[in-house]
Amino acid sequence: MSENNFSRRKFLTGAAAIGAVGAVGFNPLVSCSSGGGSATSGGSFKKLSDLAIPPLLDAAPDGKPLKAGVIGCGGRGTGAALNWLSAGPNVTITALGDVFQDRVNSCKARIKKDFNVDVPEENCFVGFDNYEKVIAADVDVVILCAPPVFRPDHFEAAVNARKHVFLEKPVAVDPTGIRKVMAASKIADGLGLKIVAGTQRRHQHEYIEIYKKVATGEIGEIISANAYWNQSKLWHRNPNADWSEMEYMIRDWVNWLWLSGDHIVEQHVHNIDVINWFTGTHPTKAVGFGSRHRRVTGDQYDNFSVDFVYDNGMHMHSMCRQINGCTNNVSEWIRGTKGQTNCANKIFDLQGNEIYAFQYPADAEGKPQRIDPYRQEHVDLITCIRQNIPVNEAEGIAISNMTAIMGRVSAYTGKEVTWDEMMNSDMKLGPTTYIMGDVGIMATATVPVPGEAPQG
Amino acid sequence: MFKKFGHFLRKRLLFVVFIGFILGVIVAFYSHKAVEATSTNQFCEVCHVHPHVFESWKLSPHYDTRSGIQVGCVECHLPPKGEGYMKEKIRLGIKDVYGFLFKDSADFNWEGKRTVEMAQHFTFQSSCVGCHTNLFPRNLSKEGMEAHLYYSMNEKDLLCLNCHIDVGHYDPNRVHSTNVNFGSGVAINQEVYTEPAVVSTHENFTETIPGSVVSFNMIAIPGGSFQMGSPDSEPMRSSDEGPVRTVNVSPFFMAEVEVTWNEFLVFYTQTAAEGRSTDTEGSRLSAEVDAITGPTPPYGQPDQNWGMGDRPAITMSYHAAETYCRWLSQVTGKTYRLPTEAEWEYAARGGTQTPYFFEGNPKDFTDGGFFRKRKTEIDNFVVYNANSLLRTQRPEKVDANPFGLKNMLGNAAEYVADWYAPDAYSMLQDGATDPKGPESGTERVVRGGYFRSDAANVRSAARDYTRTEAWLKSDPQMPKSIWWLSDCNYISFRVVCEFDDKTGN
Repeated sequence: MSENNFSRRKFLTGAAAIGAVGAVGFNPLVSCSSGGGSATSGGSFKKLSDLAIPPLLDAAPDGKPLKAGVIGCGGRGTGAALNWLSAGPNVTITALGDVFQDRVNSCKARIKKDFNVDVPEENCFVGFDNYEKVIAADVDVVILCAPPVFRPDHFEAAVNARKHVFLEKPVAVDPTGIRKVMAASKIADGLGLKIVAGTQRRHQHEYIEIYKKVATGEIGEIISANAYWNQSKLWHRNPNADWSEMEYMIRDWVNWLWLSGDHIVEQHVHNIDVINWFTGTHPTKAVGFGSRHRRVTGDQYDNFSVDFVYDNGMHMHSMCRQINGCTNNVSEWIRGTKGQTNCANKIFDLQGNEIYAFQYPADAEGKPQRIDPYRQEHVDLITCIRQNIPVNEAEGIAISNMTAIMGRVSAYTGKEVTWDEMMNSDMKLGPTTYIMGDVGIMATATVPVPGEAPQG
Repeated sequence: MFKKFGHFLRKRLLFVVFIGFILGVIVAFYSHKAVEATSTNQFCEVCHVHPHVFESWKLSPHYDTRSGIQVGCVECHLPPKGEGYMKEKIRLGIKDVYGFLFKDSADFNWEGKRTVEMAQHFTFQSSCVGCHTNLFPRNLSKEGMEAHLYYSMNEKDLLCLNCHIDVGHYDPNRVHSTNVNFGSGVAINQEVYTEPAVVSTHENFTETIPGSVVSFNMIAIPGGSFQMGSPDSEPMRSSDEGPVRTVNVSPFFMAEVEVTWNEFLVFYTQTAAEGRSTDTEGSRLSAEVDAITGPTPPYGQPDQNWGMGDRPAITMSYHAAETYCRWLSQVTGKTYRLPTEAEWEYAARGGTQTPYFFEGNPKDFTDGGFFRKRKTEIDNFVVYNANSLLRTQRPEKVDANPFGLKNMLGNAAEYVADWYAPDAYSMLQDGATDPKGPESGTERVVRGGYFRSDAANVRSAARDYTRTEAWLKSDPQMPKSIWWLSDCNYISFRVVCEFDDKTGN
């Protein structure tokens, strides 16, 4: 068992060595387990200079023109396209792809309106194979923002075509997809491609400042963590007589397991990723609850509560909910042996007194100069491409994504689920081939009920 | 005289240093030449006279590479320079010279050397990854990506050789894929048994497997009492073999030999159809719901290409062995099962309380190397590392123990039903009757040594246990097989049949 743990860490450490930006270099759990949980060993902490921190420039440096293609032109794809165009000089968008014509049209119009960039009509592609055409359209970078079930294929194709990638989260909905992303990530390393993931907290100044302090030992060894994404109902679409079953499900994708991975994966992965980032490892097992109270469409739950356990016995409690009229909270919390933190911008002592708060520098009017982290991701991506700084966040997001899947499977089944089971699982969600028509999923879709009914 | 010479040296110090330098350069140059010259394929070929080494190399992908680079002997069989190259060169050089001068290459077990267990000692992982620095090239297959991803997460436990043993020396019999043809083509043209054996008394009988041409001998083991475990005074014992307990065992039948491939393949072919595809699940008739689902096709070659027939079946999982017993019970109408640990040791001892059921001290049978010859009396009874050629042997090679059982102590290791605990005997009541071991556990007891065991581990009292995780480490399938082990080629089992002395069957 201990051998396994060792190699798992080695795997993660390998990820850290390769991905300069956002990858984890700090591993408190190693010393916790090897040093018998000694609270004062301190040997696991890193020097500030050894941490992998993104360049974090205010704007990307100039350089030779970079052409991007957007795959998935919905809300997030259009948003990412605008972030890309705003990130620095001499960047443009030359190709768009989506399964729906109206999405391509709206994205094209928005880019024109906001940045006066004309994407040529012949480079606008519609259909399930749009990604192949976008990748083939002489672009340098692809922005992958389709629903997550499609991401592994899109990412693999982009890497094999030697494209730099902006990789929106989540990156997969099942273990089969996760492994495909992990393998493609290794290929990307070999090719020296630059990959930035859509886990924007890793590109957010205040999170990074706190990460530096935690990684260098300011709150001691990490002993427990919480991750929350409790919010109101997200959104849904009702079926439309003009839409086939497939078209309807994709337009309503955040409510369908096979498309989104359920909301613990689709949304809450952000917070789980922060804990994995700060701890430098991932949980090895999970027991979760979850249910569906008020979701309108689809086959997903609308709340999860998962107890994640790490090798050294540390626990992370994770909860997420998408229900109106409840108490909301989107945040993280980490307790160490010497202090605690909200991860986002503050550090507290063990009594709860604030001992540090991150402040953005003020502009001329005295307002804090906060940089939009969604834009910062693209600034960092372009900076790394132009200055040839290694960055590959694919494996990091794949690991956090897998953590969330492990929690989901546990909640669905009521059973303890281990990391090794997930890494060896052949689970693959969704139809085997994608056609815009009736695919027979909605008729048979059921919401999972954990455990067994009592007898008699 | 010497004084004068000393004076000369001091006077010409620079000159002397210069001469020394030149000599040093010459020595270094020629020793480098010598190292180079003794590292060529041609040099290797001078002594490595077994012809198939060069033949199989020339058929391998390392000879005929896509890039035209030819990978020679020392590039795999020595570590990279700077990573122990010279040390290994000297070690292997001495070994080879010794072998060349004092041994007959015809006696070498070439087949044995081609197993992963042996090959890893002269084929260096650091050399594999020294050249193959990128395990994720763009054109890698889906299976290759999954496998290399798995390797990257388990580097400590895996070798390149686990999957790529034949890249340097071609092996026409090697299978590295799902082996759907495994077990097909078993000879027919013999009488097919229609009925199982009828047993009414506690005497040896021959079981006939209905619907097959296969039969096997069952030995009647009388009930009795014995001392289970080994005393502290027994040479080469382990602490988990004590304390010694008196144990009573009721009469039972035990198979004369380990389950043979002939026997196991009847089970495989009669039950596996249902395991091979899931689409039969839905069409199965309700009357057949009790039918036993047998193994799925193995990955690779379970018999290691050592041959099947009456050699012991190997590499099945504990689950497969247990399912075999259920199936055998069903087709014969008797109660077959795995032996308990107590039954196994009682049967293995055959009434003796010595380290072996024959005379001798374990230390005398251990292969002593060059300076001490082992005693060979053991060869009549036990297949172990000193006489096995590192593979299973046919039962006819050995004589039976006093109960009439063969290969209890060696050949292949055997599953027994008990959970393993190192302190199982401490928890055992002295004078217990038919004990079944600890109530729960994580690994099962394995009894009897095998073809790679030292003399110490083929003693009657020696205990071992299953390694569930390690035995499946290199199975590339997802999920891993529940029927076949990828990383244990020495495990088999032996069936017992229950005997009811009240009803006589």
